[in-house]
Amino acid sequence: MAMTDRLIYLDNAATTFPKPREVLDRMLQGYIEMGVSPGRGSYDLALEAEDFVQRARKQLALFFGAPDADRIIFAANATDALNIALNGLLQPGDHVISTRLEHNSVLRPLYHFRERGWISYDLVHFDDKGFVDPDEIGRLVKQNTRLVLVSHASNVLGTVQPVKEIGRVCAERGIPFIIDASQSAGKIPIDMTAWNISAVAFTGHKALFGPTGIGGLAVCPDLDIKPSRFGGTGVDSRSPIHTEAFPQRLEAGTINLIGIMGLSAGIDYIMQKGMASIHGEEMALLKRLRDGLSSLGHVEMYCAGDLSSHVAVLTANVGDVNPDDAGAIMDGDFNIAVRVGLHCAPLVHEDLGTINRGAIRFSPGIFNTPEDIDHAIRAMASMS
Amino acid sequence: MTAEEEREKLLADLGREARVVAGREIYFDWEGFFWDPNDWNEEVARILAKESGLEDLTEVHWKVLRFFREYYFYHGRAPMNRHLKEGARLSLGEIESLFPGGIRRGARRLAGLPNPKSCF
Repeated sequence: MAMTDRLIYLDNAATTFPKPREVLDRMLQGYIEMGVSPGRGSYDLALEAEDFVQRARKQLALFFGAPDADRIIFAANATDALNIALNGLLQPGDHVISTRLEHNSVLRPLYHFRERGWISYDLVHFDDKGFVDPDEIGRLVKQNTRLVLVSHASNVLGTVQPVKEIGRVCAERGIPFIIDASQSAGKIPIDMTAWNISAVAFTGHKALFGPTGIGGLAVCPDLDIKPSRFGGTGVDSRSPIHTEAFPQRLEAGTINLIGIMGLSAGIDYIMQKGMASIHGEEMALLKRLRDGLSSLGHVEMYCAGDLSSHVAVLTANVGDVNPDDAGAIMDGDFNIAVRVGLHCAPLVHEDLGTINRGAIRFSPGIFNTPEDIDHAIRAMASMS
Repeated sequence: MTAEEEREKLLADLGREARVVAGREIYFDWEGFFWDPNDWNEEVARILAKESGLEDLTEVHWKVLRFFREYYFYHGRAPMNRHLKEGARLSLGEIESLFPGGIRRGARRLAGLPNPKSCF
């Protein structure tokens, strides 16, 4: 089988690659012209940098339907944002409801808190199509339930969870509701206000087309997240106490300006191209992949029968081939990059029966072509 | 517990187990990978190959195993996919088919390389 000259990158769920050229250009140019510390100095350029950061917060607030731009908190990535939220919210004796679809960015902090005897939690199962039932979440609510935390789109199955309905269930019971939007932000619209979402944890380097190292937490005013990291904020320097004012309350230290520049440019890119258009293109590629793999007798796909509530992620196994080896063959023989293993979401694989083996994850992006997908199908067909 | 006993317990917790192969005590991890690549020799490889269902290691098998080892000891790490393909002069699909268990759990393990760090 002919090897292609260029890498066919089908690992966009890990990080989008390549980044749009205009995003990289704007990052570089912005940092050349304004790479100073925002919100600290009183010289004009520092004020301009701070003004840029505030505009980025407003841009993100609009993007997520968040009511208050000052409560757009910049973090290193979604894991960092989730840790800020969990450390600042949970108290000893609290109960949390989450799902078995979660990434380790949620599972490990929860496990850490539980092992220390601080919290208890329940994890809702997903059905054979890859979705959790909002009513099941409602049934698990206890008197001490402090938080419901759900991954908007599974990084293994690509299934988009019914967060609007889950938000309603939580709002009826007065329980804060946080979503992990790592796989959804930039692919499908999110409206925190309309959907009763208390906070959105997002990362910049996936479907928002920014660089690695930038992400954040969009927080509603009624969610009281205490600071869990303390330090310089550029505000009220004489006080030994970390400021209560947002956004600095949850941002200690100098923020990642070049990352914010990239994130802002990435969102502009999405708005210019159209989120629905991007999602539509990616899903057309995914459907082509799903249909092509379906025609191969020896490929097993997981929760890919109906793609109507999916993002462009498809996970499969091929015959008895170890997924590690399948990934190596795709890479070495076909110049195709896919992600194999457990995808940092071990409970999903436990429930799929692939915990001891793992699986191959395909996640096409807007820079892929139908020919790329056909090549991936041929690569899978070569393995038996 | 002495420091040595603590170390042994830690290693046992990590899944290290000793087995006698070809008259030598060798440590393997939880997936049967060599703990120390220097414990490998051709006789040990033949025995482990038989255990995996490979009665005879042909010259093609040896070419793959030797490349793995030469690369590992020269570079201090296992070959990348493209280097393995070039060095063994076989496609990765062919290497996968040659060894029961495939590339990682078959060839790499029989070559005595340590268990790769991967998403497990």
